[in-house]
This record gives sequence, C-alpha cells and structure tokens, in this order.
Amino acid sequence: MLLKSLDHIFWLGRYLERLDDTARLINATSHLLIDSHKDSQFSWPLLLDVLGQNGAELLSGLPASDLTVEQQVMGFLITDVDSEVSIRAACTALKQNARTVRQLIPRDMWEELNSLDLFLQEHCQQLQGRQHRYRLMNEVSRRCQMVVGVLDGTMLRSDAFDLFNIGRHLERADMTTRIMDVMVLQQLQPTDIKRPRFRWTSILNALGGVESYHYYLAHQNTEVDAVDYLLTYADFPRSIAYCLHRIVASAKGLPHGAAILQRIWQLQDLLKTQSLSELTTGQLHQLIDEIQTGIIELHQVICTPKLEFSTDLSQQMSA
Amino acid sequence: MGAKSFGHYQQIDQCFDELVQADGQIRTPAAAIARFIDRHGSAELIQRQEQLNQTISAMGVCFTLYSDGNNIDRCWPLDVMPRTIPSSEWQKTSAGLKQRLAALNLFIDDLYHDQRILKDGIVPADLVLDSRNYLAPCKGISPRYGVWANICGTDLVRDGSGKFLVLEDNLRVPSGVSYMLENRTVMKRVFPELFADSFIYPVDDYPHQLWRMLASLSPRPGDVPCIVLLTPGVYNSAYFEHSFLARQMGIELAENTDLLVQDDIVYLKTLHGLQRVDVIYRRVDDVFIDPQAFRPDSVLGIPGLINAWAKGNVSIANAPGSGVADDKVIYAYVPEIINYYLGEQPLIDNVPTYLCLDKKQRDYVLANLDKLVVKPANESGGYGILIGPRSTKEEQQQMAEAIKANPRNFIAQPTLALSTAPTLCDGVLEPRHLDLRPFILQGRDLYCTTGGLSRVALKKGSLVVNSSQGGGSKDTWIINDEV
Repeated sequence: MLLKSLDHIFWLGRYLERLDDTARLINATSHLLIDSHKDSQFSWPLLLDVLGQNGAELLSGLPASDLTVEQQVMGFLITDVDSEVSIRAACTALKQNARTVRQLIPRDMWEELNSLDLFLQEHCQQLQGRQHRYRLMNEVSRRCQMVVGVLDGTMLRSDAFDLFNIGRHLERADMTTRIMDVMVLQQLQPTDIKRPRFRWTSILNALGGVESYHYYLAHQNTEVDAVDYLLTYADFPRSIAYCLHRIVASAKGLPHGAAILQRIWQLQDLLKTQSLSELTTGQLHQLIDEIQTGIIELHQVICTPKLEFSTDLSQQMSA
Repeated sequence: MGAKSFGHYQQIDQCFDELVQADGQIRTPAAAIARFIDRHGSAELIQRQEQLNQTISAMGVCFTLYSDGNNIDRCWPLDVMPRTIPSSEWQKTSAGLKQRLAALNLFIDDLYHDQRILKDGIVPADLVLDSRNYLAPCKGISPRYGVWANICGTDLVRDGSGKFLVLEDNLRVPSGVSYMLENRTVMKRVFPELFADSFIYPVDDYPHQLWRMLASLSPRPGDVPCIVLLTPGVYNSAYFEHSFLARQMGIELAENTDLLVQDDIVYLKTLHGLQRVDVIYRRVDDVFIDPQAFRPDSVLGIPGLINAWAKGNVSIANAPGSGVADDKVIYAYVPEIINYYLGEQPLIDNVPTYLCLDKKQRDYVLANLDKLVVKPANESGGYGILIGPRSTKEEQQQMAEAIKANPRNFIAQPTLALSTAPTLCDGVLEPRHLDLRPFILQGRDLYCTTGGLSRVALKKGSLVVNSSQGGGSKDTWIINDEV
C-alpha cells in the first residue's frame, strides 16, 4: 500500500463511523429531549457543543426565522453541507476519500458506498419532522452497517483493511465519549453529587446496547452503571475498552504499530487508575475530556508513521 | 426476419447500419436482440434502459468533465441497444490491427536508431525530426522487445460499404478501455437472458492481458514484478479509468510524488518503506514524465525517471517518445510503413487523407473546405476539428487561415458516411453514427481486445462521438458466426 493512502483509508473508516454515530447521537438525544421537562437545563445547542462546535455562537449568528432551535440544530447536524459536523458533510468527505483510494476498495463495498451517498443526497436535503427524522437516522445507520458488512465479507486482510478498522474504532470511541458527554453535561449545572442518576436508556438504545447492558448488570458482583459499562466493558462493541482492543489488534502489523500501542496503553491506564464510582459529574466530564485528548494524540501517531525515504536506501526493503 | 422489431426504424441513405441490412432485414448477429424486442415489446426496452441507467449510477461508473474550472462527475452514457459484429469479420480486423501496431513499433524503433525509413525516403525526414512528438533524448534507447507503443487504442470507422477503416492511431495514453469493460458488466446485469441466448465473446480478460504484457517488460525477469500505474491524480478526467485498471490488475495507483529515483532506480513510497519499481504504466503525457529531461516547469514528472529508463532499470509503457507515430500526418504514411517493414499489404485501409504540407493537396483542401473534415495533427478528444458540410463560411475562412499559417499541422479527409446503429432516443429507435476503439497490446506477444469501445454520437446527424462532447457508448458484441 502507498504511504499516501494511509490517511485516506483511515479517514474513510472514521467518516463512515461518524456518519453512523451522528445518526445515533441524533436519535438518542431526540428521545431524551422529547421526554425532558420544560425546565430542564438540557437544550438542543448542547448537541453542537459536544461535537466541538460553539452551539450558542452558531445559532446566534442566524437570522431570526420561523425555525425552532431544534430545527436549526438539526440543520447543522443533518442537512447543512457547510457545517463541519453534518451528516451530509461527513458523507461528502467519505466519498472524497473513497474516490482517492478507490483501488483499495472492493467493488461491492464501492457500490454500497455509492448507494449510501445517493440515498443521503436524496433524503437529507430538507429538514423533516421528528417521526420522519427518527426513521431516516435509523436508515442511515443501517446503510453504514451494510457498507461495513460488505467490506468485512470481501476486503483483503491487508494494511488498508487494518487502517480502515482503526479509523472506525477510533471514531467510535470518540463518538461514544461525546454521546456520554451529552448526558453528563446535562447534569453539570444542577448537581455536583456523586453518581447522579443519568437517564441512560435512550443513549443505550441508540447505541444498540440496552439488552447487553442488562446482561452486564446481571453478571457483575460490584455496583456498576452505564458509565462503567460504556467506558470499561470490553465485550460491548461500542465501549471505549472494546474500541481500544480492536485498535491494538489492527495496529500490530503496521510499521508504526509499536508507537500506536504505546499510546493506547496510556489511554487504558487512564481508565484503569480511575475509580469510576467515586467520580462527581464534574470529574466525569473531565475524564471524558482527557480521553478525548488521548484520542486526538492517538490519531496523530497513527497518521504520521516515521519513515525516512531519502536516507540510506540499503536499510529499506526492496521486493 | 423483418425489421418490424425495431418499429419504424429509418436507416440513413448511403450509411451502413450495424444491425439492419439495406433491404431492412435484421443482420444475423442481431437476431437475438430482435427476438427479445419482438417478445417483450419496445416498452420493455425503455424500461431496461431505465434499469441500466440506475445500474450505472449505483456502480458509480462516471467520467469527469471540465466546466468553468470545475470538475463535474457525470454518469457514463450507455445505450441499451448493443452493437453486434460477426466473429469472422472481427478475426480479420484484429489481425489487421496487430499488423498495424507491429509495423508502427518497428517504425518508432527505427526512428530512434538507424532511421532507415527516412534514409530510404519512404517518410520525409523533416516531417519526423521537426515534430514536437519526436523526443531527441530517446535516441539510442532500446525498450524491451524493441516495442515502444505497448498499448494502442485504434479508432475504426466503417465507410458506406461497411468496410472498416482506420481513422486514428492513439499511441500516447489511449483511454476508454475501462468503459468497454464496465459496459459489459452493466449489460450482463440488465440483459441476462440475451447472454444466455447468444454466443457473445467475453471481454473481461483484458486487465489480465494488460498485466501480463506489462509484466513481460520487467527488467528483472524471474522476480515478481512491481508494476505501478502512474496517474496525474484524482482530478484528471480519466481518473475513473486509472483507478479501475489499477484495481483490476492488483497494482498500485501512484502519482509522481509517490515515486522517487535514486541511483537510477525508481522506488515507490509504501507504508513499509521504499519498494523498487520495475514497470510504470503511465497515464501522463510524454512531456510530463520527467521535468529534468523534457520540461522543467512540469509538476507532474518524476526527476531522474528518464535516466533510470534509459539505463534499462525500469520500463515505461508506453515508452516516452512513442507519440512520434501518433500524428495525423504520419498516419497518412502508415500503409507504406507496413509495407516497408513487414513486406505486407495493410489488412485494414486508412481513410483517404490529404496532407496540407503538400502544395497540390493543400490547394485541393482549401478549395473544398465545405466538403472535407479538417483535423489538426496533434489534438485529441475531437477538439479543433472542422466538419466541412456542417460548418459556416466564417469557420471555413478561419480554418483556411490556420492551414496557410501552418500547413504541417493539418490534414483533411473526405466526410465519411459513418456507419449507424439503432439507438434508443426519446423512447424510439433511431440510427446514430458510431465508431469503434479496440485496444491492442504489444510486449512479448501481441493481443487485441474482442471488439472494443463503441462510441456513438447521440445528437441526430452528428459525427462527433467523444464523451466530452455529448457522445454516448454501446456495448460491442462479437457474436460467434462460425459454428
């Protein structure tokens, strides 16, 4: 594989996962918000904040219109091609990266990606009501899963395959922390007590993890909750622990595997040394921040393998 | 079988139709298609065209148009009606195409060595030596097997009698073969029953043949050759094809920045370090290959590549300098070239051609601009062409000035009654003009595709088949008629 392709195949994995997870985030929070009391601290712009945008600022720049805040936020998250965090922007970036590494992608996966793109172009043009939105987001997730399924069944087990999977799981870890953050931030202002009762059900629903959460609870002898589950339960495929395991497994064959592994161990240590049940919401938010910083650093290590081309050629491989 | 299958299909006078005889009978190779339409009706045909368009869109078969400084991806246009050719005719045609490429390669090799053909006065020396396609730095270099143009896309047309003629030899970076292959994939999905119903020769061994040919050029025979396809990049109009072929052959798709040359060896920058490159299938023009050798302002080249090639450490297909034989003026001499090197008569004729550099022929051209097709010697993609009968007086006047200013740069040919084939236009089958681009490979062996890419002018009466100018395509079926 070309060195240049590393970035693109890695980002291909990230954007595909981002598309899936953004759709899940939208559904998780929509449900939560619809259930929320009117005096809740939780507000739609928070969704933009956890994705690294300044929600208040973005929305204040908009001309007064008939659109509700909910619709405006959904515009940024779904239809707006210029928004960095929208589904359509993720899809455009996905397509661009796929085109660049087209020769690494099996035909069946390419067709599945194409169909995903055509679907989004057709259905994510205009904002829709909540009910329609819910179905649409489900469909986006489903189609992302189709791409992954086809890839899994057809792609050569190669560096490209490994990098794609690293990208997916890095993004998933990142998005899981962001989705968690929505829940935590919701609680920040009203309370500083330990272990507040988060309303995790809609989150776990969107992550497809309600049943396995109950299984998890039934098999632990200490008192745990969704925080432990999402951060440390390595059997759940959307937990941080699982994502890190998968990156380790995929990184072993890469030329800079050692550097990647080292960075992952640091992240794993971060999770181990914390006594999660002792954390206040404020501390939990801080921990999530630290994990996100670790993920950013990990990204950099993955994308910058230290290879020197112009020095001693005899040291380099020649096939 | 009558032509009722094709509705009220009206052939064009004086034009050979690929599917229908002059008396209105369906040609034998097209019998299965006619049966299909008889059985299912033309409504079904329209529905299949719709299905076909969706398939193309789902498969992402596209080409890139430059427009207002933007690149726009367009779905590849494919007509639902195939073009049929009997296999007995194709055998003779492909023999002629191989003969032609073999002779052209002997010609190019001669030009960069002894120049016997110039000394013997068969081709005027200044015509070659003053051509911008003659690259002096290539003199004395000997590519493997003495073959320079390894991949050739020859444009064939039929005259009014149905005889195939060579219109152009594309020896630089001919494109289109991926569409030939994708057209077949699409047609098989849309017309599975037709493929069961007739003996249509497959086309899908081309990528393997191309790989074999490229591998035969490796300077390190015996090793697993490292072959790369060199592309100008993702914004190039033929990028779809570049990535398609790289994938089909299982080779890397590289840009100039992915390659480097050290000590006259070419290396590929891979994830695991440098890997020595044996063969470069380049899809960039000659002058963009190596800025050190040809063009210092090029950002597309790889410094030092030509030296590595000249030393025999890497093969480049097509070899730099092979474009010297891809010149519409040289084209006029190809029949003599075949005769000179092979001692044979050409199996496929040229289209009659007037050379504007010859005073007598130029005068004829200038006096008949309204009847002739005038072409610049060194353009491709259908640009800069004057089609006399469809041009205005003003355009003819401009062309006359251009010819007088630079006669070497123009040739003229009679306006051909290009063959037609039934094409679905607004739900009705109408005749549209078409050509055929087969692809011929030469390395250790000679190979010719089974059929080729049929390009069709979708506008009524138009003779311009280029996809950049509103052309479409057809799947080309070579049908066994020898059982």
